[in-house]
Formats: sequence, structure tokens, C-alpha cells
Amino acid sequence: MLKHNILFFFRNIKRQKNTFLINIIGLSTGLACTLLIVLWVVDELNVDKFHANHERIYQVIEHLEFTDGIQTITETSSPMAELLKDEMPEVEYATATIPPSWFGDHVLSVDENNLKATGQLIGEDYFNIFSFSLIEGDKNYVMSDPNSIVISKTLAINLFGSTKNVVGKTVEFEKKRQFQVSGIFEDVPANSTVQFDFALSTEASKEETPWNSLNTWNSSGPRVYVSLKEGTNISALNAKVEMIRKSRNENTIRTATLVPFSEHYLHGTYENGKQVGGRIKYVRLFSIIALIILTIACINFMNLSTARASKRLKEIGIKKAVGAKRKVFVFQFLGESILMVFMALSIALIMVAIFLPQFNIIIAKQLTLTFNVNLVLIILCITVFTGLIAGSYPAFYLSSLNAVAILKGKWNSSVGELWTRKGLVITQFTLSVVLIVSVLVVYKQVEFVQNQNLGYDQDNIVQFRIEGKIKDQLQTFVSEVKKLPGIKNASSTTHSMVGHNWSTTLNWEGKESDNVTQFQIVGVDYGLIETLGMEMAMGRSFSREFGTDSTSIIFNETAIKAMGIEDPIGKMIGNRTIIGTVKDFHFKSLHDKVEPLFMSLMPEGVNKVMARIEAGKEKETLNELQAFYETFNPGFPFEYQFLDHNYQALYTSEKRVATLSKYFAGMAILISCLGLFGLAIFTAERRRKEISIRKVLGQSVSQVTIMLSREFAELVLLSIVIALPIAYFLTQNWLSGFAYHIPLQVWYFLGAGFIALLVAILTVGLQAIQAANKPPVNALREG
Amino acid sequence: MLLQLNNIFKWVNSGGQRIFLLKDINLNVEEGQFISIMGPSGSGKSTLLNVIGMLDAFDEGEYHFLDESVHSLKEKRRATLYKEYIGFVFQSYHLLDELTVKENLEMPLLYKKFKGSERKAMVADMLDRFNIVGKKDLFPTQLSGGQQQLVGVARALISSPKLILADEPTGNLNSKQGEEIMELFKQLNDEGVTIIQVTHSEKNAEYGSRIINLLDGRMI
Repeated sequence: MLKHNILFFFRNIKRQKNTFLINIIGLSTGLACTLLIVLWVVDELNVDKFHANHERIYQVIEHLEFTDGIQTITETSSPMAELLKDEMPEVEYATATIPPSWFGDHVLSVDENNLKATGQLIGEDYFNIFSFSLIEGDKNYVMSDPNSIVISKTLAINLFGSTKNVVGKTVEFEKKRQFQVSGIFEDVPANSTVQFDFALSTEASKEETPWNSLNTWNSSGPRVYVSLKEGTNISALNAKVEMIRKSRNENTIRTATLVPFSEHYLHGTYENGKQVGGRIKYVRLFSIIALIILTIACINFMNLSTARASKRLKEIGIKKAVGAKRKVFVFQFLGESILMVFMALSIALIMVAIFLPQFNIIIAKQLTLTFNVNLVLIILCITVFTGLIAGSYPAFYLSSLNAVAILKGKWNSSVGELWTRKGLVITQFTLSVVLIVSVLVVYKQVEFVQNQNLGYDQDNIVQFRIEGKIKDQLQTFVSEVKKLPGIKNASSTTHSMVGHNWSTTLNWEGKESDNVTQFQIVGVDYGLIETLGMEMAMGRSFSREFGTDSTSIIFNETAIKAMGIEDPIGKMIGNRTIIGTVKDFHFKSLHDKVEPLFMSLMPEGVNKVMARIEAGKEKETLNELQAFYETFNPGFPFEYQFLDHNYQALYTSEKRVATLSKYFAGMAILISCLGLFGLAIFTAERRRKEISIRKVLGQSVSQVTIMLSREFAELVLLSIVIALPIAYFLTQNWLSGFAYHIPLQVWYFLGAGFIALLVAILTVGLQAIQAANKPPVNALREG
Repeated sequence: MLLQLNNIFKWVNSGGQRIFLLKDINLNVEEGQFISIMGPSGSGKSTLLNVIGMLDAFDEGEYHFLDESVHSLKEKRRATLYKEYIGFVFQSYHLLDELTVKENLEMPLLYKKFKGSERKAMVADMLDRFNIVGKKDLFPTQLSGGQQQLVGVARALISSPKLILADEPTGNLNSKQGEEIMELFKQLNDEGVTIIQVTHSEKNAEYGSRIINLLDGRMI
């Protein structure tokens, strides 16, 4: 019987190529999208989970209670590590680190071989907590000497040409200090949030500015990680940890707490001290999109198979008449649809293999299609499930029909069935329209963000770190840079204007005692405000003409408002005089409101040079700059960044979502239309006789075309009506995550509806015209 | 006695009115009979045939088939019964277009737990008997109407039923083809198969040994 059924299946395919093609294209595209998303989701879920003890690794985070709410930071103080290890018996290992994101890139040299590499500072226990496996060196001792450096396999090969006999050799750090290689670790896997090429001991940093100031309870910045002993009750431990800050200082606004390290990647967003998600929202979003696309593909399959049911009915009737039981059909139809989905799966896998590199570029990952047990199981589940869903209708409904009725041709599509089919089409288009609106809104918002007036001119600003000789001769260097052709202005700052996080509280006259407003600090040198093209709202900028500006301070408008000072110019804040207020500018992503901020001169603390290049002369000027840099600062490679690129990086996830959802929405509408196309062919066929009679009685081709298209256009219109409120709710919700966002405009919704309707009418109309143009005689003769 | 119908009624309700499709049908069929049911359109011929074939239910009365009371049987047992003893021949042949002649013949056997080799032998037998060996790999659409009906009859016969029910078997055929099919029925009947056919044609009815006339659901 199986052989018979398989024969049937394949001969059916041959007979109904259109239906088969529509099904296979729809299902395989749907599955391919789903598989890509599954690969991404699985990868996201596994980030930081490769550490052998990841369930026992915790990170200290701190909640800071400010006047306007609780802020949560992942930084804490170095001594926290020691305290946890010494006083909490549950803690097995603990380490303080200055993470790579902060410690940054540094020049390492072996002989004349200078390389820039990303480093971090770590404690002795680091390699006991994290499973970065060591090829050379013992994880218990690699960090016991402050003069040790541990390097990655790749870095070892780049520096020494090999990983053999490297331990014990000397590496020069920033052309200043010698470290001995004590170990080599396997390159950090891509699914680690901590990416570094080398590590130095936190002990070593105790002698180095600016890190030396970090080893006290008062400064915060380092990250602290612990691994707990097995069977630790985390809430009991946290109750103790949360008291640490309070027991040291009654009035502290800080509370330290432990959170699972490997969950932080996906659940890293805190609002007012409460965990409120994080990247997990994208994981969920895309899982839903995958489900939607797969649903749309399944609906096609179901719709087409019910529409084609009339063709299968004869088969059911005859088989029943010769003795087949219902069970036979259930197996046959479910089997057919599962077989179909497996065929689609093989095409989908090929599609995934083809599109994976492109997909990787968009999501900035290195996913590969490697089959492990889990992935295969997931894929099998999705496939079988899709098959069952898609085949359920014919399997359970058609098989229940009465043989005589079928054979006598008395069976007609019931009203209920017609509505099921219509309902399914409406579902498809509702989902598609929601996706289209969302994509439009995301796209518009990302565009808005990119063109938003930031309060300064970020174009053509090149920035690079102050290191080596430049550190000692900054003023000379900057004034020489200004003289280079193509450089319009240059200055230096403590912070890039992007993603800034250095703040303090201030005292001023009339401040209420419980006010703990945080002020962002930007240390600058003369000319920075001018270089960045910021505008002064009041007063003046820092200037050498006034001599005493080392005690001057400039606030932004928000800060002045927050302090409630009127007529600020000339007022004293502590020992500093306000000389001006600068118009608000954005220094974080537009997710956040502009916060109070001040600038003061810190010629010693600055670490970045910012230079404005004349537009259109970027290439020549950069070459000049590089040549000058390299002669001025030998041994240090010239590495620069454009400010606007860094700014764009703040919106990487949004842009990724925008790009991805664009493709996936396209897929959704494509698959939906494919289904509509199939239904249109079918309807035209079913109504052939009707069309012929109408034509014989004098209806024109265009009237018939309109009649046929109308049925579908109405469905799509109804979908649009249902979709728009849903889309409004969803997009409004998404936009509210931005402190600055576009207003939702009517045309986004009308536009999306129009697109859906247009595509649908084009799809159906072509079929309708064809059907309307057929000579009526053939159909009538049969009848 | 092959089958016996006692006071069979079948009706549908339409707009509060009861419309009788079959009214008080009493019929005894002995093994080896060749019965033709005749009557105008809508007189209930096909309904009666379907009731006899257990494809359709009735509302009142008793139906005994080989000493089993069909009216009180469970669906499953009824299905086994007709699978075992009854073969159908349809006016529009009802061959499956997706299957070849050979496969169409084999199909009823699939639902009766025959082994593959047995099935092959039975199909080969049938092909031989009906002289259609040369057509075994053709699809129904490649055959003439008469040939299709030949396959239809062969399919009905393949599991050696006691009773063949034919609903206007020659209705779609030209007279020469029709004659051939009727000759075939005659021959089968001579071999001992009971046949009940529905027909419009007096000439075809002549082939039978007994004629039942229906009018408005009643035997006259």
C-alpha cells in the first residue's frame, strides 16, 4: 500500500505541477527562513555557555539609587573580589577584571614586531573561573606573577611565529614595560562576550595610571566575577552580598548583587533595578517572525490542498467504495504532506547553505550549518510538525466524507469550509501587513536616528588614541596636526562623544539635600567645542585668552535646568566658575534622553585626539596624518576611527533588525502571494463554467476579470483592516523604547496596506484576465 | 438466499416535509440471479443500489445479507461484509487517473490483506481473463470508454465477490461497447456471479433474468 501511495503522490505532482511548485517554493522558502532564524537563535542562546561551569559563574552588578530612579551597572570595585572570596564560604574563586571594552587595544612588541592587540586585566583565579583553555601554562599559576602576560594562540603566532617555546619570553607593553609570557590560551570562541588577545595581572596595574586608582572601594569600574561552590543557595548568598555596601557606608546609594554571568548577555537590561530583558527580546522577536513565516507557508499548503480537494475526492470515494477505511486516508494524507515537507526541507537546506554567508554579514556572526544532535532534532521536529499541520485538514476532514455523496458528485464545498479557507487567507495577509508596517516604521526610525541633529557635527571627525610620545607632547602634537593641509581643527578629550559613561554628583547653591542628580563628565582641551561644532547657548567656550580657564566649567542646558540655576554665567560650582552653557547634544544613543553634563579642561586626563577633516579630502588628509603620526610617534601604528561610524555602531541592533525584518517581511508577502496565486488559479478553474455562461450571456472580459479579482481583493482589504491596529500597537510599543523617535504617520499604514493590496491584485488579476479570455465553448460542452 | 430487504424506507426532510426516496421496498435476491432495476430519473434506482451495496443507510426496515442483519451491524463489520462480497461497477467507470490499469486492478486488494505475490497473481489472472494484458501499463485516460469500463468490471471482480452492483454500466458507452459489457455480464452470471444493474435501456434489461420497476421510490 505504501508503494501505491508513494506512486500516487508522485503522479499527482506530475499532474498538478502548478500546485506542487507553489507548495514546494512556499514551504522551502518558509523553512529556509525558519532555519536561518533557528541557527541564529541557537547561537544567541549559547553565548557564554561554553564555560564548563557556566551555571556557577556569577557576575557582580550594582544598583545605584538616584533621585530619578535606580540605575544598574555591571561595574563594581576591585576589592569586592577579595572580599567575596575571603568572607563568603560559598565562593570558590573570584576575580576582578578591567574588561577589554575598557582596557582596550595596546601595542605589544617583540623586537621590531609591533602589534596592536586587545587586552584585559585579570586576577589570579580568572582561568579557574572561565574555561578559556590554556595550551601552555598552568591555570592555577599563570597570573601569580604581576609581570606575567598570557596571550592567545593567534597572538603568539603573530608575535613569535609559533606557540612552541614561547613561555618565558619577553613582550614589551606600550614600549614601556616588559612582561614574561606565562601561558597561551586557545583563541576565544566567537560566542564569548569577552573577546581578548592577551591578559595582564590586575596586580601589574596597581603601578600604572589610570588603573592604579581603581583598587579602592571608592572607585568603580572593574568587573568582578566569581564561581560558586556546587549546591550554593544563590538567594541566601545574595542576601549577604547585598549588605556589603551598606555595612561599609550607611548612606551609600549602591547595592551589589550577583547575577548569572552567562545569562547577562540575553538578559542584560535593567530598568529601575528590575531585570527587564535585553537581547532576549530580539531572540523572541525573530522566533515569532520564524513562526509567522512558517505559518504562512503552512496555510498555503492547507489552502491549496483543500482547494484541490475536489480532485482528491474521487480518489477517496472510489477507495472507500472498494473498502478503504478512514484510517487509510489519514495516514496517506499526513504521510504525503510530511513527505512534501521533507522535500521542501532538502531544498531549504540548500538555500540556507547558499544564503548563510550573506546572513552572517547582516548579523555579524560566523554561523555554520553543522549538524549536531540538537540541531537535527530541532529541524526534524519543525519539519514533522509543519507536515502534520499542513496535512491535517485533508487528512481529517476529507477522509470523513461519505463515499456515495462524493461519487455522485453531490459533494460541494460547504460554507464552513469556504470560510476556513478565507479565514486562512485573511490570517496570512494580516501577518504580512503587520510585518510590512513594522519594517516601514523600523526603517524610518533608523533613518531618523541617522539624520538626527545631534547638537554637533559628527561628519568627518577622525579620532585616535593618545599614546606613546604623544602623551608627553600633546600640545605640540595637536598644534602640528592643525597645521596639516586638510585638517580644519583639532583638539582632545577624555571621551569619545559616543556611549559615554563617567559621572559624578555636584554641589551647588540651593541644592536640595536628597538630590543625587548625576552629571556626565567630559574632560576636554581648548578647542574641542569648536572642533566638534557644538553651539554655545550662553556665555563662551574655553579659551586661552582668558588665562584662568583651568577652573572654568561649562554645562549643557539640561544640567542648568536640573540644577535650577538662573543666570548661570559667573556662578560658582564648588571651586569652579560657570563660563557658559552649551546647547544640548546627544552623547548616548537616542534610546536615552540627554542627561545633565558638564565639561571642564583636563589636559592631563584626555586620551583621544579629535580632528576635523575638510569634506572631500578624507583620503589625502588621512595619509598626511598617518605619515605625521608615524614620524612623531614611532613604533605605534596609526589607528583611527570616524566618529560617525562609532555613532552608527550604537544602532547596530536596530539596523540589523531593520535589515533582517525587511528580508523576512519580503519573504512573508512573497509566500502569501504565492498562496493567493494558487487559489486564484484554482478559483478560475472552478468557475470556468460560470465564467463561460456569463460571457455567453454578454458579460465583457473586463467585467469578468473584476468579478474574479474582487473576491480576493475583499479578503485582502479585510486583512488590512485587522492588521493595522495590531501593527499600530506593536510599532508604538517599539518606538517607545527610544527617547527620541518619529511620530507614527498615517501613510506608513496606508502605504503598507496599499502594497499588500497591489501585490495581491496583480497576482490574482493576471489569473483572472487569463481565465476571462478563454473561449467559453470548451467549458460549456463539458458541462 | 443472498439478500433480503423487508419494508425498507429511506427519506430526507426538506422544509418540514418528508420526501421519500425509497418506500416500502421488499426484495429477495437469490444467488445467481441477474436483476435489472429500471425506472425514470429520480425514481430511486441508484438509491436502492447504494442501499444494497451498503454505501448508503436507510431509515426504516430490515436488510439481511447472507444471514447477517445489516441494519443492526456496526459500521466496521458492515465494511468487512461488503468488502468481502460486493463489487461495484460505475457508470463513469471511476478509475483512478493517477494509476495504471494494473495498479487500478490491484487497489481493492490492498485493503484486504493479500500478500504482494498473491496480489500479483490475481491481477495477472484478471488481465488474462479480460484480455487486457497489453494495456496493463497504460493510464485510464489512454483507453477508450469501453476499455475503461472493462477495467472497471475487472476491478469489481478481482476479489471474487458474490454480488456485482452496476449503476448504469453502459451509460457512457456507445452501443457496440455497451453490448460487449452486457455480454460480459451475461457470461459472469452464467459462471455464478449474482448481478444487480441499474439501467435505462430496455435492451440491456433483457440480459437480466428479472426486472424490477421503480417509480417514486416504490416497486411496481
